[in-house]
Amino acid sequence: MLLAHVLCAQEDAIRGYRQYLEAHPDSVEARSNLGAALARAGQYEEAIAEYDRALLKNPDNPVLLLNLGLAYYKTGRPAEAAARFERAAALAPQFKEQVVLLLSSCYNSLGKYKEAIALLAPLEKDKSDDQAFDYLYGTALIGDGQNARGAAIIDRILSRGESAEARLLQGTLKLGAHDYDGALAEIEKAIALNDRLPGAHARLGELSMAKGENDRARAAFGQELAMDPDEFVSNLNMGVLAKQDQDYAAARRYFDRALRARPNDAGVRYQMANVDLATGNADQARRALEALIGESPDFAEAHATLATVYYRMDRRSDGDRERALAQKLMDQRDAAEAGVKPR
Amino acid sequence: MKWWLALGGWLVVGGGWLVFSDQAPEPRRPHFTDIASKSNFAYRTDNNFTGRKYFPQTMCGGVAALDFDNDGRMDLFFTNGAKLPEMQKTDARFYNCLLRNRGDGTFEDVTARAGLLGKDLGFSFGVAAGDYDNDGFEDLFVCNAGPNVLYHNNGDGTFTDVTERSGIGTKPKDVLSVAGAWFDYDNDGKLDLIVSNYTVWTPQTDKICAANGREFYCHPKVYTNVAHRLYHNLGNGRFEDVTDTSGFGKELGKGMGIAIADFNGDGYMDVFVANDTVRNFLFINQKNGTFKESGYEWGVAYDESGNAGSSMGADAKDYDNDGWPDIFYNNLKGQIWGLYRNMGGKYMNYASGFSHLSRLSVRSSGWSNGFVDYNNDGWKDVYSANGDIDDQGEISRQPDTMFENVDGKQFRDVSGLLGADFNRAGFQRGSAFADLNNDGFPDLVVTSLGEKPRILMNSADNGNHWLLVNTVGRRSNRDGIGAALKLTTAAGRTLYNHVTTSDGFMSSSDKRVHFGLGAETGIQSLEIRWPSGSVQTLKKVRADRILTVTEPAR
Repeated sequence: MLLAHVLCAQEDAIRGYRQYLEAHPDSVEARSNLGAALARAGQYEEAIAEYDRALLKNPDNPVLLLNLGLAYYKTGRPAEAAARFERAAALAPQFKEQVVLLLSSCYNSLGKYKEAIALLAPLEKDKSDDQAFDYLYGTALIGDGQNARGAAIIDRILSRGESAEARLLQGTLKLGAHDYDGALAEIEKAIALNDRLPGAHARLGELSMAKGENDRARAAFGQELAMDPDEFVSNLNMGVLAKQDQDYAAARRYFDRALRARPNDAGVRYQMANVDLATGNADQARRALEALIGESPDFAEAHATLATVYYRMDRRSDGDRERALAQKLMDQRDAAEAGVKPR
Repeated sequence: MKWWLALGGWLVVGGGWLVFSDQAPEPRRPHFTDIASKSNFAYRTDNNFTGRKYFPQTMCGGVAALDFDNDGRMDLFFTNGAKLPEMQKTDARFYNCLLRNRGDGTFEDVTARAGLLGKDLGFSFGVAAGDYDNDGFEDLFVCNAGPNVLYHNNGDGTFTDVTERSGIGTKPKDVLSVAGAWFDYDNDGKLDLIVSNYTVWTPQTDKICAANGREFYCHPKVYTNVAHRLYHNLGNGRFEDVTDTSGFGKELGKGMGIAIADFNGDGYMDVFVANDTVRNFLFINQKNGTFKESGYEWGVAYDESGNAGSSMGADAKDYDNDGWPDIFYNNLKGQIWGLYRNMGGKYMNYASGFSHLSRLSVRSSGWSNGFVDYNNDGWKDVYSANGDIDDQGEISRQPDTMFENVDGKQFRDVSGLLGADFNRAGFQRGSAFADLNNDGFPDLVVTSLGEKPRILMNSADNGNHWLLVNTVGRRSNRDGIGAALKLTTAAGRTLYNHVTTSDGFMSSSDKRVHFGLGAETGIQSLEIRWPSGSVQTLKKVRADRILTVTEPAR
């Protein structure tokens, strides 16, 4: 009943702003308010369109940028959201505190853990009793491989009581340490506490893949994608699974989705190039791999695949060059990774 | 179209509905029965695991099927571990083992009489059987941590260690050798030897890896890569180490299984080496005594995602009967076994996905493996001896798998239908294919850490027909290793295979070339392209027999 009332009120507001804008199309405030009403009604794409139109009139309006960032955030497009949050905070430093959690959440989604840590670390003292802060900070630390610091955050969360978020972080840590049984117990506990915790099913999917349980992985990724069709990890891995089955059309669909969440992600683009090669589009694979290597010269696998592409295209000397580069990079990586770990 | 399919799978009977399957009826399948317990022998695969996890303990129990006494029956040879850290076969439980096939379903332990106990050897791994001196008796090469050994078959039931005078014992100090394969790379009629090496290791340099107070077997990356070695047979029982001049010395890997085949159809044998956590190598024979590592060019260096998995066993046979040998390697749980389809001798296409191998294999940790037409339907199936590397996971002990080839395109898992003995879980390692009772159906011999080997006899009861070809070279090497066979059935079906004893991991199989013929009993022709270059064609060959074919003198 209450929801219906709210929705009715939003619809009235939307109608009202639209009528006003017919008469005053250049009103930035009215368009901004229309965007806010649309966003409150869950019509994010329309809200984004209105904010964009308003920004054409006033490109440096931090409120508009903040709201547009929020709308992108709500639609699972962290890259677009982060760009707007960054700009809003740069234009209006008073917004910085307001956007810091949102921005670090975006960074975590984008795999930019170092950026998230840089934002969050200075706030640790002030936010030491903030559950959301701890979750974001713990995610960033573990994502960055700072496991000991991440574990301390987990302990802090659990000292306040049982928490799905803490269990998920714990499971992530254990998964990284190849403790699959331990990771499974933690992730299952997280899901039992909150079945809709973002990322929990994706992590279960990753764990299942690591254990070779691909059907279970598919089911877990499917559950994550049912909640969030743009979730990066699930789309990437569903694409990898489809590629393994040589269902290349499905693989492309998943990889495209993954690129929506993390535009230009090098790993996804590399997978796409492999699909191109496997489907006989060697020249397309070549272009994609050359671009990737241009941006990430140390991407050993890309050099290796590009070598094969060149050989297929009868470009022997190019192939030899890429092969030598791949070998050098892999040797360097092997030397760096030669620590003690289980296989 | 079958009549029930025309009815859409439904048939009205009386007042009720009767559902018919719209699938073809299941074919009759043979199953496997372990007969090892009928024989009196002491051998168990003993890696001396006593709590401390020495790196090589995961690899123990090589097996060879060979007819050492030329009585027409395949005998068995097993390698074994050693006491660690002493690295000596301090007592009988570590001795290697030769079992003579009595022909009545039992085997006699003749190791001591044959001189093959290996008391002076360290920890043994792979074994390769081949008649390197063309005297008509199969010899044995055994890989070790420590010096490798070449045993010459004296033809009287005994063997002599000829390592020193053969020159085959040369290898850099402390190199751990895993597998060997006999082949004639220069087609001079004498078998050469390729040895896959893993790393430099001694018990004293063994690394200890542990987490949370539990020791585990170290990741291979903590050990260095080394070159595989090629030995050229000079004749008169002498070999020359040509590793550096042949091109093998340039590539450093962690060698496991070796597969030999002529991948580009130029009449010269090439070499595929499966490497553990290092890209796989494909050495293409340049026909001048050198090889070019061409894994990248052929697309077999890495899997489809650019990953180097823990490749273990390897085999190269033509699984789709298109005339070109393909590659199959297995690896560990969570990875995907590699199946590569040879595209006309130019490159290989990754076929694990389309063939369903990716889905079927992901839960198994495979070691020895191979293509084998276990049911004689004319399509080579894929077998893998499985078991996890360590004992810490949920499913460490694993059963073997047999994925049945469906029309040369896809595979399906029929392991569960092959009998309880086939499905016994363990830490399986070595395996060899051999027709132990000469009934035309391949049998299996499988080692498992800490256990007696299984000698799995094929029930041979699905009514399919077969041909087993025993090649005898004259201008070519006497075993005929490398000879390419093309069989055309009476109905015009074409089947391909070649002579090799090297398949899987640490193992050596029956050298006789096996063809399953399905329901057919007639063979239009059998063409043999010998390594010497001569081509021999036999017409109207009768099926269901062991056919010895001797290469023409000219």
